[in-house]
Amino acid sequence: MRGSLMRGTQGPDIEQDESVIKMDGVSKRFRIPHERKFTLYEHIIGLIQGGAHTYEEFLALQNVSFTVAQGETFGVIGPNGCGKSTLLKVLAGVLYPDSGSVKVTGRVAPFLELGVGFQPELTARDNVYLYGAIMGLTKRDIDRRYEEIIDFAELKRFENMKLRNFSSGMYVRLAFSTAIQTDPDIMLVDEVLSVGDEAFQQKCGRKIDEIRRSGKTILLVSHSLDTVRELCSRCLLMKDGRIVFLGDTESALKEYDRMRKEKS
Amino acid sequence: MWIVEYRELIRILTISDLKVKYQSSVLGFAWSLLNPLLMMLVLYFVFSRAFNTGQENFALYLLIGIVTWRFLANGTSSSILSIVGRPSLVTKIYIPRQVLVLSTVLSSFVSSLLEFFVLFVLLIAFGVKLSGNILFFPFVYVAYFVMIYGISLALAALYVYYRDLNQIWEVFLQLGFFLSPVVYPLTIVPEKYAELYMLNPVTLVMQINREILLYSEAASASSLIFVTIAAMLILVIGSVIFRRLERRFAEEL
Repeated sequence: MRGSLMRGTQGPDIEQDESVIKMDGVSKRFRIPHERKFTLYEHIIGLIQGGAHTYEEFLALQNVSFTVAQGETFGVIGPNGCGKSTLLKVLAGVLYPDSGSVKVTGRVAPFLELGVGFQPELTARDNVYLYGAIMGLTKRDIDRRYEEIIDFAELKRFENMKLRNFSSGMYVRLAFSTAIQTDPDIMLVDEVLSVGDEAFQQKCGRKIDEIRRSGKTILLVSHSLDTVRELCSRCLLMKDGRIVFLGDTESALKEYDRMRKEKS
Repeated sequence: MWIVEYRELIRILTISDLKVKYQSSVLGFAWSLLNPLLMMLVLYFVFSRAFNTGQENFALYLLIGIVTWRFLANGTSSSILSIVGRPSLVTKIYIPRQVLVLSTVLSSFVSSLLEFFVLFVLLIAFGVKLSGNILFFPFVYVAYFVMIYGISLALAALYVYYRDLNQIWEVFLQLGFFLSPVVYPLTIVPEKYAELYMLNPVTLVMQINREILLYSEAASASSLIFVTIAAMLILVIGSVIFRRLERRFAEEL
């Protein structure tokens, strides 16, 4: 997938400062109506009864600005409900910000959930092609990578089996391998590093390390502070939709520790 | 352009949609072709007596109307669900959401072409002489496709917010079925409403199809231009509605 929201803003100026992710003053607010209306009928009834639309506003992101440089592994941490996932979804292009601008340069692979778009009625092979297509690859691209994907997942024997007959372990293995082999420039990862058995986890860890070393950009959202400490060079600490701290990982983790102690 | 960039996804989604459609019914593929034929038979016995107009080849006249209408009815009522039906492709990953609507309409388009293929066979079997005017068919049908795609964009986007729209749309389709000359000859439309009646682009598509397939006439330039403009207009309106509503899809699903 390419960051099509942001196309047209790719220019020489961005390549100069080497930032591949750039968020500038981004805010996102959700409206939570007191009474949710799903149908036209309910809307019409609502109009007749004359009750005003009442809803609560919830600011998931408030004036968030940061940049991530090419090749950086960048962590996002914070307590539950601090806006991490919203941030990731805005970067992935799934949610549109209410204000501010987002620029993402290059092919983005959002790992918000593994196996997005997988269809249980299709074979493993067909699902690999489906997922590749979702990522915007052409058939030839996928042909080239297919063997690698199926080998990495260790599912060569089952490639023609329907996905609904897969165990959950096989399912995540296939999903992870497919996603990782689409050769993204930027990976947005939301706590999906722990997949499969231990051997496979180690393999995934090595693969991610390899990707990191090859100069790809990774944005990692995680609760596992150990993972963050191990992988990330810089971190963003969030609370209630705002940036509390932005800087090197050690200081960010200390700050987070302090924040949690204050609270308790 | 997203159509080019995501052509592989459009192709795969269209094919998987067709597979599901034809595997889920017992007679599968045959049934989908039998359906319009049975409908034609029923309507033929009812309406050939109702309007004793001496319409030439009334059975085939009906069938062209039915097959043309079915593309609109099936295309829109399946694509209205195309966004809501695949929530993970909207909320978990970014793809141009039009892809979902387009692939559903394309799958209906393929089904409709198959029905037309059977229609061609029947035309020949009934001794209708097909002339070079048949070359108008691809053009008219592509314009019709664009129209249906435009309507589907608007419906699929609105359905995200109004989940009873599919039922309302069914009523509109019922109404449209009788406001278009599917089952009756154009001659029964009262003179004073004729102009208003002909503003319905579906009527024009249907009539052009009958002229070029059944009566070996050339399609008139004016009606071709009208259909083209109508298709473009509907596409633009549909796209504008879709773009505006698309921004909050992920929040509503």
